[in-house]
Amino acid sequence: MIAAFLTATIPVFSQLEDVMRHVLNFFHTNVGLTWAWSIVATTVVVRMILVPLTIRQIHSMQSLQLHAPEMKRIQQKYKHDRQKQNEELMKFYRENKINPAASCLPMLLQLPVFIALYYTLKHFNTNFHVAKNADLSFLHFIPSIADGTTAHWGGYVLLVVYVGSQMASGLFMAPTAQKSQRMIFMIMPLVFVFVIARFPAGLVLYWVTTNLWTVGQGLITRRLVQKTPAPSPERRSSRTPPKDDGAAGNGAVADGPEPKPAPAAAATGQPRQVRRKKKKSSGRR
Amino acid sequence: MNAVLRAPRYAGIGLVWAWRLTFGALFPTTCKYEPSCSEYAIQAVRRHGLAKGGALAGWRLLRCNPWSHGGHDPVR
Repeated sequence: MIAAFLTATIPVFSQLEDVMRHVLNFFHTNVGLTWAWSIVATTVVVRMILVPLTIRQIHSMQSLQLHAPEMKRIQQKYKHDRQKQNEELMKFYRENKINPAASCLPMLLQLPVFIALYYTLKHFNTNFHVAKNADLSFLHFIPSIADGTTAHWGGYVLLVVYVGSQMASGLFMAPTAQKSQRMIFMIMPLVFVFVIARFPAGLVLYWVTTNLWTVGQGLITRRLVQKTPAPSPERRSSRTPPKDDGAAGNGAVADGPEPKPAPAAAATGQPRQVRRKKKKSSGRR
Repeated sequence: MNAVLRAPRYAGIGLVWAWRLTFGALFPTTCKYEPSCSEYAIQAVRRHGLAKGGALAGWRLLRCNPWSHGGHDPVR
C-alpha cells in the first residue's frame, strides 16, 4: 500500500528529492561527515526546525497535566461513546483555554522529509556517483545505508533499536492517552517493522534518529514540566472582570461565580488572593 | 451518482486510509479538532468531491497547527 502511495506521488516528490540530495551532499562534502552521519545530521536539523513547536508543546503539556484528573473523569463518563467523549474534551479544552499539543500539521511536515529520503536512498548510486569503495557504513555494523535493511545482520540490530525507540517515543508523545490507545502505540511498531524492513537501511536510521530525538525531548520536557509550576490556565489579575461563563455546562469543576473580593483588600490595592485556585487544588487531589 | 464519477472520491478516501493505517498509526497524536483531520478529509471528499473536498481538507490541515485552538469544526 505504501509503495502504491509513493508511486502515485512521484512527480510531486521528485522536487523534494532534489532538495534532500543537496542537503545530504552539503553535509557530506562541505561538513565532511560520512553519508550515514549526514542522514543523522539532516534528521537533527529537521527536528531542530520543529523545536518552536516543542516549546508550545511544553506549555500545553503543563496545562494538560494540571487538568488531567478532570479529563480522566470526562473520559470515564463517556467511555462507550468515543465521539461524545471527544466533543466533551474539546469543550473542556475551550472552557479552560487549553491548547492541546497534538496537531496534525507538524506530524504531516515530517512525511515529505521521509519520502524525499526514501527516493534519495533508492537512487543513491545514480544520485551521487559514489565510488565503489566509498564509505556508506554506519558505526561498523551497517555496511551500507543504501542497501536493504535486511541485507546484513546489522540491519536487524537497527530494526530492534527502531522498535524500541518507536515504542518509547510513542509513550512520550501521548502522555495522556488512554490504555487502549497506548496498546496500539505499542503494537504498531511491531507491525510496521515488517514494512520498514524492506526500506534502505538509511531510512531506518532516519527513523531511529527522529525517535531518539523525540524520546530525549520527552525526557527534557518532563523534567521541565515537573520543575516549573504550571501556569494557571487563565491569568487573572485584579483588573480582569469576574468570570461569567464558569457555571455554564461545566459541571466537572465545582467552580461557581467568584466571591467578591473583600472591600478592604481592594482599598489597600493589595493583589487579590485568588481563592479559587486553592479550592481547585484541593479538589484535584 | 455514476460510479465512474464517484471514483476520484473513493481514491481520495483510500489515500486517507493509507495514511491512517501507516504513518497515522505510528504517530500517536490525537487531533485537536472534532472531527479529526482525517475524518474531516473523508467527509469533505465524500460531500464535495476530490477537488473541493481535498482543498477543504488541506485548509483544515493548515489550521491544525500548534497555534490554533481546535474544537468542533464539522464539514459544511
